[in-house]
Parts: sequence; structure tokens; C-alpha cells
Amino acid sequence: MEFAEHIKTANVEDVVLRQPLQPPSRGTLCITGHHLLFSDREESDSRQVLLLLRNIDAIEKRMSGSSGTITMKCKDLRVLQLDIPGMEQCLNIAHSIETLSCLDCVSAMYPFFYRPVDLSLPEQWGLSSPEMHYSQMKELYEKWRLSTVNRDYSVCPSYPPAVIVPKSIDDDTLKKAAKFRQGGRFPVLCYYHKKNGMVIMRSSQPLLGANRKRCKEDELLLQAVIEGSDKGYIIDTRSMQQAQQARMTGGGFESKSFYDRWKRFHRQMERGKALQESLIKLVEACGDESNNMDRWLSKLENSKWLSHVQNALSTAGLLVECVERDGHSVLVHGSEGTDCSLLISTLAQLIMDPCCRTMEGFLGLLEREWIQARHPFQQRCAHSAYSHARLQQESPVFLLLLDCVWQLWRQFPLALGFSEALLLRLATEVYASDYGTFLCNSDQERCALEVKERTHCLFRALLRPTERDYYSNPLYERTELAIWPSVHPQSLQLWKGYFLRWTQQVRHLEEAQEEIRNMVIEWGKLARS
Amino acid sequence: MEFAELIKTPRVDGVVLHRPFMPTVEGTLCLTGHHLILSSRQDNTEELWLLHSNIDSIEKRFVGSLGHITVKCKDLRVIQLEITGMEECLNIASSIEALSTLDLVSLMYPFFYRPMFEVIEDGWNSFLPQNAFKDLESMTDEWRLSEVNKDFSLCPSYPPLVAVPKDFDDETLKKVATFRHGGRFPVLSYYHKKNGMVMMRAGQPLTGTNGRRCKEDEKLINATLRPGKRGYIIDTRAINVAQQAKARGGGFELEANYPQWRRIHKAIERYNVLQESLIKLVEACNDQSHSMDRWLSKLEASNWQTNVKEILTTACLAAQCIDREGASVLVHGTEGTDSTLQVTSLAQIILDPGCRTVKGFQSLVEREWLQAGHPFQQRCAQSAFSNSKPRHEAPVFLLFLDCVWQILRQFPCSFEFNESFLVLLFEHAYASQFGTFLGNSAAERARLCLPEKTVSLWSWVNRPQELERLTNPLYEPNSLVIWPSVAPQSLLLWEGVFLRWNRSSKCLDEAYEEMVHIIEYNKELQTKVNSLRRQLAQLETEDPLLHTP
Repeated sequence: MEFAEHIKTANVEDVVLRQPLQPPSRGTLCITGHHLLFSDREESDSRQVLLLLRNIDAIEKRMSGSSGTITMKCKDLRVLQLDIPGMEQCLNIAHSIETLSCLDCVSAMYPFFYRPVDLSLPEQWGLSSPEMHYSQMKELYEKWRLSTVNRDYSVCPSYPPAVIVPKSIDDDTLKKAAKFRQGGRFPVLCYYHKKNGMVIMRSSQPLLGANRKRCKEDELLLQAVIEGSDKGYIIDTRSMQQAQQARMTGGGFESKSFYDRWKRFHRQMERGKALQESLIKLVEACGDESNNMDRWLSKLENSKWLSHVQNALSTAGLLVECVERDGHSVLVHGSEGTDCSLLISTLAQLIMDPCCRTMEGFLGLLEREWIQARHPFQQRCAHSAYSHARLQQESPVFLLLLDCVWQLWRQFPLALGFSEALLLRLATEVYASDYGTFLCNSDQERCALEVKERTHCLFRALLRPTERDYYSNPLYERTELAIWPSVHPQSLQLWKGYFLRWTQQVRHLEEAQEEIRNMVIEWGKLARS
Repeated sequence: MEFAELIKTPRVDGVVLHRPFMPTVEGTLCLTGHHLILSSRQDNTEELWLLHSNIDSIEKRFVGSLGHITVKCKDLRVIQLEITGMEECLNIASSIEALSTLDLVSLMYPFFYRPMFEVIEDGWNSFLPQNAFKDLESMTDEWRLSEVNKDFSLCPSYPPLVAVPKDFDDETLKKVATFRHGGRFPVLSYYHKKNGMVMMRAGQPLTGTNGRRCKEDEKLINATLRPGKRGYIIDTRAINVAQQAKARGGGFELEANYPQWRRIHKAIERYNVLQESLIKLVEACNDQSHSMDRWLSKLEASNWQTNVKEILTTACLAAQCIDREGASVLVHGTEGTDSTLQVTSLAQIILDPGCRTVKGFQSLVEREWLQAGHPFQQRCAQSAFSNSKPRHEAPVFLLFLDCVWQILRQFPCSFEFNESFLVLLFEHAYASQFGTFLGNSAAERARLCLPEKTVSLWSWVNRPQELERLTNPLYEPNSLVIWPSVAPQSLLLWEGVFLRWNRSSKCLDEAYEEMVHIIEYNKELQTKVNSLRRQLAQLETEDPLLHTP
């Protein structure tokens, strides 16, 4: 087995583990192909720490005399420290961690080996499929159809095999429209607002280029979306200037002259590297130990993270306003249509649609908008805030989504069926997981690697009764209304539960929440008996 | 009656009221001696009853003959009145201005207020020093209650009864008092039952430039030390500020004269600096620019959170000296009526579970703030909106409450009261129908005959219906010392006060109520289960048939 060659020392005795919120403990350290296992030597109350190597973002080693210290900074923002006797052992361990934590080969990753006894590989992977989703939405039948034009991923490699499009548009038109959109991501339906029949579509940018190409089929497709209505809106997640510049590299935006019934808004949202750097700065600020209030507040400001949260929520708010208040359909896109577009369409659905606010609803929404609609998880989440590796495609877009959802949850504590714990779990799993859900960059890749046959699905696991109890919000009461978040800077807060999770003070808050949860569970039991 | 002279137009019809997050109300505006009332005479709309003393500043503006009056309150609420008719509007505005800035204490509303509720327990008698001393006596016999200040002549800002070391007679105390600022000789503030250590507070020693000393003062504080043990003096001023104080006759305890004490200087801001910090913070909170950067830099520039952190840090230091180091502590700044009290009262909240109950906290406020001579009337005369030049105003008490809120937030199960109680104290410190926070000292309160002429806030609070609203449903007595985190990352802006009127709290309130409901229901079910279990046990013993297989 190939992991073995990376493991020169598999076992070390007499290692001291230091982790946040707990006293240091002494015990045995083991390295396996996917895990770091530490078991302490206390006979009575023996504790084990099992850490996925994948979770380790960066390590630092320091030698002093014949022993060494390895500091491991994890993608879930935890910082662990190992004191290892023996220089050679320490170097070996460090080397193994370094290599094994950033193996590139997807099929060697842990989800392909994770076989818990109480769980058999599922018949069905995931919660739903585009086909099932369509079949459940009877109100779509009249004007919308399910197209399988992409069944072999040839039209758009990043779309699922089936997508929902206007009934009047045939597959040939779709194929031509796809050629006019970056990566073949032609406009598809992502949300139908039952109250007024308006929809949210998403796509990638049109490929106008410098000489302003046009595509009749794309225009027709969009025309069909607003059939029977006077206009539609396009929300471009780039600034006007950025969109203009995109023309130089073959991209662009829908010009007024060819899409005369569409009104375009530009809202600049940060993406890619800038977002990753913002996360790095924020985490650095959170770890600042200078104990200086001014320094903390300026570092927090400097990181711009909260500005990104505000921006995402207010752009989603604009989208909701168009659909819910103004009663018009909206097309959302940026450049590729795989990051910010997904972020704001997801948030908008949470704000508008009570069905997305239950636990199943929310996980289903994530599956549709992020897994099926292809957010390139593997590229975006390869590293987190501590990595020294040169940034490539990393960007915490999904984490930003979870933060925004947390803001919603904080402002509307009754309206969401799940609790902060679920958001924390997702934030951890997206970077390192036992499950296959966040593997790969697209549906196509997932099929090629047989992810759906050979790994377990996180979303299904989260909906098992015990897990569901743990992650549900005890205060949940369904409301049919849209939950409009306040996006005043004064109303938005740092997500302490995540960013300061490993500091002492958050603990007491968790205890209080735990208390309420226990009460509700007990209440449920009593009510049944 | 003289109020009538100030009220030029007692009522105006057709006034429109805008309040944050509430529907607009149109109705009749009435001015009385103490209230601004707006009533629509419809059943389902809420009336506005606003104490004039709650009004911090007003602004008027005209658009044609329509006048707009913006009323900014000390509880940080901002409301708008639209009044048709220039003359009416000007009259109303000038009346409000005059009535809201009346200086004469005896004209204040508490002297006119008659309770509409049954007083179960007279709050004026709830927290007498002699009762507090009884608790102390049960723990130690090293202290006595001295009446040396019974006519307030020795120290005008102390109560008539103070706890001092047993072996010191009143004559010695008199000598010590001449050596301390404002006559505030060292008195007992807290006795730590666990190890017998004490916290004392005082005014600064009057050493002056030539290093005057007072043997009696040295002996007095040394008497609180165990043999061979050292104590800590926490000076709430930076060392250079303390040095400068010498030039004005003040100073600090010199090592040479107090060899058994280690002095630690901690810089806690005072007076104008704090008031300006509050003004800047409130301005930042009301900033409408929608820019995250701007908000965060304004928050930072206000320095409010830094002040919170410094106070909490110093309180933790005092608590640490007592609990961890096993040493006694003396706390003072200059006068010993502001930052000193912040430190001593917060240290007690950290150390003493008794202070974390509703009654215990009231008692703490009574002991460490009201009787200890915090000049409430001067400090709370104006709040963040006032345009007049601040004189003695400073949000010292509000900062204390903010610090308590930080601890409460970090230990949500350890306090018997909830955030609403803290907000309530903030409101009443600035404007109230009760007499509790009137006056600047026990002496002034006695002179004003407050217990006879006004109602105590505690009389109102300590009734079941109020207590229910103010108690924390998650409370579970925690007998331990609670150490708050003072890392800047751990301290939050107190939204319940500073963003209270800028955000709709409807959803948060609903969630809170839901939580209370769940906990209540849980308790109910628990009692039911217990009684069923008891019945079952009884049946089993009574009915022999149940035992036969």
C-alpha cells in the first residue's frame, strides 16, 4: 500500500499533546495513512484524539536538544501541539504529516476508505436529484421542462445531467446558447417563487468579447424566461468596470441593445484570492494575543471579512427584493457562475422560502446549489487560513455562505430549523471529511471516480435521527414570511462560534445552548411517554 | 404652581409621532410638569409617556409651517414629533427645553410620584448597612461597625455606618480621615469568606509634594494583613497621573512607609474622557452610512470597548490578588468614588456568588455605589446627546453595567438576573420616577428625606411580576469564582443598550420568550414526573398485590 512509504515512524511513545481548552496529556502517537491518533496513558479515563490528516493546514517543527515540537494548525482553526522525544522520530512524524495531509490524489482520500459498521453504502447518494426535484415541483410543469441535453456532460461539464429550462426552448437552442456562456453554463432555473411564479436563473457570463458578439439563442432563452411579464433583472456580481474589462478576455455582460427587456445591476462581490486573504487576515486577528482593543478592532476592520458578509447579504437582499417585492424574474451571474452567483442565490432562497429553512430543506438547498450546480470544492477548500503554500484556487466562498446563514440565524432565532452546530459541522466537513460529499470539483469528476458508489453522503448521515436531534434548533417555529436580514454594519457580528471556537469564553455559551437542547429533548420524551 | 409658567402651550392636537420600529401615531400632545404625553385616544395604539428628565437634547426644524422636533433621550432613544403651526411648535420646544433641564432636585418627579402598586417590601429598608454587617459578623469578628460618621462630618460622601478593623477607635479614624482625599479613610468593601482576605477602598492619601505620612493610616491598613503576608494596593491611575496628583496635595502610598504593600497602577479613564467616549460611541451606533469600515473605525475611535476592557482587567486583578494570591487589597484612585467603585464592585461579582442573585446585585449597587458615595446626580445629569459642555458627567455607572453584561454573557447560567435588569438600572440611573438614584451621597439623600418623600426603585422591582421579567431562566447557582475573559476578541458591544433603538428586537424577544416557555414547561413536567413517581412508590408499598409476581 502506497501510504506506507510515507510513514517511516508509525508509533511514538511518551508524546505530550497540547490542545486548546484541555490540559496537556501524555500518551502514544500513531500515524496511519489518513489519521493521526493519540491515546493518553491514563488507565481510568483514557482519552483518544483522532485527527484526519487532511484537516491539517500547516505544520511547524521546532527542535530543542533531543526532542522536538510539532505545531499543527488545522483547517477547522484548531491549533495542536505535539512534544515528541527523539529528533529522528520527530522529523519522521513531521514529514509524514506534511506529505499525507496534502496528497493530491482524490481516490486515495479517506472517504473512499471510511466504512463505519453502522452504515452501509447507500442505494441512493445524496438527498435528491434534479429529476426528483423537478417531479416534485408540479407548478413548474406548465412552463418549464427538464432537459437532459447535458446527460453526457458534453454541453456543460460543470452542470448535472439534467437541468430545468423554459419549456419553449429546445435542446438545440440550449446547445447553441451554451456555446455563448463561459464554461457552457447557459441560464438554468434555480428557484421558483410560488407566491408569484417568478424565478431565479443562474448562468455564467456571456462571451461577448471585444467585438460584441451576440447569440440569438441565448436571447431567446432569456426572452422565454420572462414570457408574460414586462421585464426581468440581471444581477451581475461584478462591478460595471470589471464586467467591461472581462470583454478583453472574451467575456462580458448582456448589453442593453440585445436584451432590451432586462435591466442589469452590478454589485461588486469579492472572490478568489482577495477573499482567501481576507480569511487569513481575520484568523490572524482572532489569534492575536497582544490584548489590545484598538489593535483587535483595526485588524478586524482590515481583514474586511465583515464587509464581505455585509456585501453578500445585501446583494442577496437585492435579489429577494426583485423577486418578492418587485415581482420580476432575475438572472444571476458573475464570471464563471460557480462562486458568488451560488452564494447569493442560496441566501436569497433562505430569505424567501420557508421550505429551505428546515434542516432537510437547507441541506437539499446546499446539494442543489453547491454540489449539483458545481462549486469547485476541491480547489476552493484545499487550504484554509494557516497554509503557507502559495494560493492557487483557494477561496472560502462556502465559509462565507455559512457565516451569512449564521447572521440570519442570529437575527431570526426562531425561523431556521437547524442550529449553529450544523453550520459549524459543515464548516469543518467542507475542509476535511469522512464523507464524499465535498470531494471533487464537479458532478462529472464525481462520476469518474465513482464517488457516489464508493463513499458515504454527509447530508444523508446528518439526517439520521440522532444527528438530526443534535443539529436541530429547539426554538424553531416555521414562518411563511420572508426573513429580511438587517445589513447595517452595526447589526452584523463576527461569527464567534466559528472564528473564536477554540477560545475559552465560547465554551460557556455552548453549555447554555446545550442546556436548552437537553431540555427540549427531555421534554419531547416526556411528552411521548 | 411654578411648572405652569414654563408650559406655554399645554396641549396640541394633530401631532405626529415617529418612533424607531414602531408605527407612526397621530394624536394629542400634552405637556405636564414632568411628562411629555402623546395619546391618540385609540385603544390599540400605544401612548407615549416620556419623563422630561429623560430628555437629553432637542432639535427643531421647520418646513414651511410644519415643525419637526427631534427629541433625543438619555436612554439613547430618538423620537420625532411633527407639529403644525410655528408658534405651537416653538412653545412646545421651549417648554421641553426648560422642563428637561430643571436643576432643583426637590422639583424632580420622584417627589411627586405616588406608587400605583402595593409596596410589599420598602426598598429603603432593604439594604441597611447594619444588616449587611450582620452577615459579616457571622464570618469574622475582626471588624466593627463604626458610627464615627453618623452626622456626615468626617466624610461627607460616606454613609453614617462603615465597617473598620475592630482594634481601631473612632479617634484614630478621624486622624486617618484627614489624610485621605475627601475624608475617605480606608473601609471594608468585601470580605472573602474562602480565605478571610479583604478588599478595602479609600480616597488617595494626601502625601503632597513633601511626602507627608500618617502613622494611623499605615497602622489601619496594616491591621488587615495576616502575619508575614503582603497586601496589594491597586491605584486606578497611571503612575504619572498619580505622580502629578502630588502637586495638588494628593499622591500615593510610598513603599518606604508601606513596606508590606505592593502598589500596582492601572490606568482607568475618568470624567470627560469617558463622557466623550460615550458620545463618540453613540454617534457611531447611529451612523447611517452603511459602511462596515466606517463603523468599525468609529467603534474603535470611540475607545469605549477599551474602557470596558481596562475596567474588567483591573477588577480581575483585584479578584486574583484576593482569591489566587491570598492577599488583601486596597483600591483607590483620586476621590475613590468612580473607578474605585467599578473595580471593587466588579471584583465582588467575580468572587462572590451572592452578588449574582437579583437581591445580591441590588445590595451590591446599594453598598458599593449609592452608600459608597458615587455622585449619581452629577454623573448622570446628561447623556450622549447633550450639547451642553459636560461638567461632572461621566458614564461611570453605565460602564460598570456594561462590564457586568460582558460577564453575564460569558457565564449565561451563573446570574439570577438577565440583561433587562441591567438595562433597567441604566434607565433609572438617568431618569426615574423613583428616588433611589437622586442625590450625590448618603448625606444628600438624608437631607432630601428621600425615604420619606419618594419611592425606592427596589420597592417596585422586588415584586413577583417584575422579578419574573428580570430573572434569568437559565440560572443555576454557581458557587465558584467566575473568571471572565478580557481578551479584546471576547468583549462585545452591548447591543441591548447601544443598538437597542437601531434594530428591531422583535425576533430576538420572541426567541427569548420561547426559551423561557420551554424552560417553564420543562419544570412543570419535572414536577409532574416527580409526583407521579412518588404516587407510584406509595402504591407499591400500600398495595401488597403489586409485590406478588
